[in-house]
Amino acid sequence: MSKENHLNLDDWSQGHATALACSQFKQDVEEEWVAEELISCYNCRYRRWTQTGIQCMKAAMENTDH
Amino acid sequence: MKFYLCIDDTDNLDSIGTGTIAEQILERLISNGFGPCSLVTRHQLYIHEDIPYTSHNSSMCFYSEAPEESLSTIIDLASHHLDTVAAEGSDPGLCVLKYNASGDYSDLIAFGKAAKKTVLTKEDAIKCAHSHNIHLSEHGGSGQGIIGALAGVGLRVFGNDGEIKGALKHIEINRDYTVTELMEFPEVDQVLDLETKEPLSKTTSINMGSRSKTVMYQNQSVLFAIKADNGQYESLTKPKIRQLGENFYE
Repeated sequence: MSKENHLNLDDWSQGHATALACSQFKQDVEEEWVAEELISCYNCRYRRWTQTGIQCMKAAMENTDH
Repeated sequence: MKFYLCIDDTDNLDSIGTGTIAEQILERLISNGFGPCSLVTRHQLYIHEDIPYTSHNSSMCFYSEAPEESLSTIIDLASHHLDTVAAEGSDPGLCVLKYNASGDYSDLIAFGKAAKKTVLTKEDAIKCAHSHNIHLSEHGGSGQGIIGALAGVGLRVFGNDGEIKGALKHIEINRDYTVTELMEFPEVDQVLDLETKEPLSKTTSINMGSRSKTVMYQNQSVLFAIKADNGQYESLTKPKIRQLGENFYE
């Protein structure tokens, strides 16, 4: 994900690559899968949909903790 | 008696999802002798920074049958389950509508549609529910979940909104199916052409090239297919389903 931990609505390849490298990835329930690649930020329990895409809440929480 | 039941805002980032809790309530109803129950639908609501949703702002709804005098038992059962399993920090809401087949639900449906494109308040929900004698209850936190719960019932009564939870979960991806074969899945009532919204013939071959879902359309669980440039019909991908927008189903 970008510095702001945000991906656009359809950045599928980046979502897949980021999730593959992410130790915090946790697959969401099946009805919430959107990306074709199962391991994807778009299918992660810790992403939050916004009007422009998704935001990583795990990263946001960790930033707040520090 | 036919009744609709919807819940919203029951989860946090680490808990079980609202859809799972809806299915648990459904199973408890059945084990208590009620039913049959419909499939559970997922209703996407407005994504906006002023709405405190957990991750995707959707509510989960189903309808069922029960004896006339059992409405309070059903509400108690669902309420108790929500109170037991709803996640810390969530704002759960429960909505139960005792359905009257000759009733006018136009403003309830309008509320559901509005919840897909505007920010609504608990007061809006309470006012709308009161006019139809609909049960609406808060189960912790801010209780904001009553807004989505009422909207979900409105959208399910509308009959043209919502993905079917669990639909086509076990279908083989990258395989061709005939319409007849697809309609053997219990969650597929119709296979329609996306452009014409007309039923495809029983022998039409559909390539399930990606994960897809059936959606509620005219009170049926419908799989939409689109004709590719090579003339072959393909199932709609999840992102495409979510891009159809609310006006598509009108």
